Amino acid sequence: MTGPLPAWSEPFASDRRDALGRAAPLGRLDRAAVFGTADGTGVTVAIVDSGVDVDHPAVGGRLVGRHRVEFDGLDPTVVDDPTATDPVGHGTACAGIIHGLAPGAELLSIRVLGADNRGKGEAVAAAVDWAIERGVHVVNLSLSSRSDALFGTFHDLADRAYFANTLLVCAANNVPGPSYPSLFASVVSVAAHDVADPEVWFYNPAPPVEFGAYGVDVDVAWRDGGRIRATGNSFAAPHIAGLAARLRSAHPAASPFEIKALLAATADTPT
Amino acid sequence: MTSSDEGGSRGGIEPDATATAAVSALGALARRLAAAERLEPPRRDAELDAIVATAALVLDAQAASIALHDPATDRLRFVAAAGPSAGEVVGLEIDATAGIAGFAFGSGQPLAVTDVSADPRFDRTVAEATGYVPGTLLAVPLADAAGVIGVLEVLDRRDGSFTMHDLDVAAAFANQATVAVRASRVGRDAATVLRSTLVAIARETAPTTGRDAVATPLDDEAIDLLVRAALADLRIDADTEADASIWALADRLARLRDVDPELVAVAGEWLDVLLRRRAPAGGRSRTGRR
Repeated sequence: MTGPLPAWSEPFASDRRDALGRAAPLGRLDRAAVFGTADGTGVTVAIVDSGVDVDHPAVGGRLVGRHRVEFDGLDPTVVDDPTATDPVGHGTACAGIIHGLAPGAELLSIRVLGADNRGKGEAVAAAVDWAIERGVHVVNLSLSSRSDALFGTFHDLADRAYFANTLLVCAANNVPGPSYPSLFASVVSVAAHDVADPEVWFYNPAPPVEFGAYGVDVDVAWRDGGRIRATGNSFAAPHIAGLAARLRSAHPAASPFEIKALLAATADTPT
Repeated sequence: MTSSDEGGSRGGIEPDATATAAVSALGALARRLAAAERLEPPRRDAELDAIVATAALVLDAQAASIALHDPATDRLRFVAAAGPSAGEVVGLEIDATAGIAGFAFGSGQPLAVTDVSADPRFDRTVAEATGYVPGTLLAVPLADAAGVIGVLEVLDRRDGSFTMHDLDVAAAFANQATVAVRASRVGRDAATVLRSTLVAIARETAPTTGRDAVATPLDDEAIDLLVRAALADLRIDADTEADASIWALADRLARLRDVDPELVAVAGEWLDVLLRRRAPAGGRSRTGRR
């Protein structure tokens, strides 16, 4: 780490947002026209996280599949886990945010955090691979791997996802050093802003983090049916995942770069 | 009955004599290093204590702590703390897969939560053990490219909730702590390897009978001091006689057959480094040392 703090949420801070202004090359598109009334119907969103509490009211009964990554020695496999829950609450928080924005979307949980694995990069990679193979439309990754050894694996996955029309929405990591796949150009990377509105998002023309979404003091679903106020890029990512699900619902054939372009063209103007 | 009888049976060059001299020299060296050693406090914990204290101060928070993952128990163990109940926090262990700290540890993702004291679902392991229940809590992983090794927690910001800037600042402190822990682990692992090698040498070379039995043994204390001295990068006065003895010991290391060859090589390198440190400063710059 030779530069200053990464501070990847800084471009979205209230006193810095002026710099996000730009001449939109495609023109600013009318949000209502682009999104229509689509609510995520017909779209599947996978949440690669700590699991999801299927009974939490915030999830609205839309969790249609529960899975976890299991290791056979060093080989990770995604297996069905029909009784899985969320021992942390974080995956449930993400699911609640996505459901709030795209109530018609079907949700899948792939647990990579918890008692029997450690959020290993290999587990995350296996979960993403599984989601691509099954044609999942949007994958929410509020976690990332810092392992240089997995750079190639995640790069391949990001490319495969891109060409398979699976949009990877990744929380930026504030910890110094690289994090994959959130730093790759083909994914949608997200950091937090503090405007208390789930439908306010900003586009940052100076990557690596391209989008800012609500992620400061967010009232989120938590474990055991509870709620909590939480802050972090990992709560910003599911806001963009929910919006992306709506866009895929409105434009079913849209590819990841088209979804990204629509998100950028309909982003809020910094004030 | 005498060592010279044994030496004679091996070819008349008294092979134990060199080693005995080396051991003697190491013993003397160890005693000389003792004074310098006493000036070197355990570095890692002092550094982590300083980091949590500074993090709490800079983030204007009531308390901060660092917990490291213990792979043997798969739990997070608090090794440094600042603020109320700091004394009770250090030494506590919590589940590495649950709670806010468990999430930050497992996911590598920083986060902060508010109003945890009002939520009965908040993991109270630490709160119950210390009697201190935080209202706001921030957790940042201690991580580098080799993985996540622990968590920095900051508790109870004095003015409102933690901000994204606070997460960035905490991440910088966590990064500093990670570097400190990694450095100490390299030292500790190195110490383990060097110690086991020296113990093997001591066993091989320990005179049991005759006049050599009164020579300074490479005992536990001497090994301790030697290991710490080798790793603490201490400056030692030049002493050509001892230099020769260390080279002799290095030579003997190379001949040991019941010690892992890699260990012998590593220990030999340390002895070499130690010897270089012993050389007079001469024309060689020592800048870069602290």
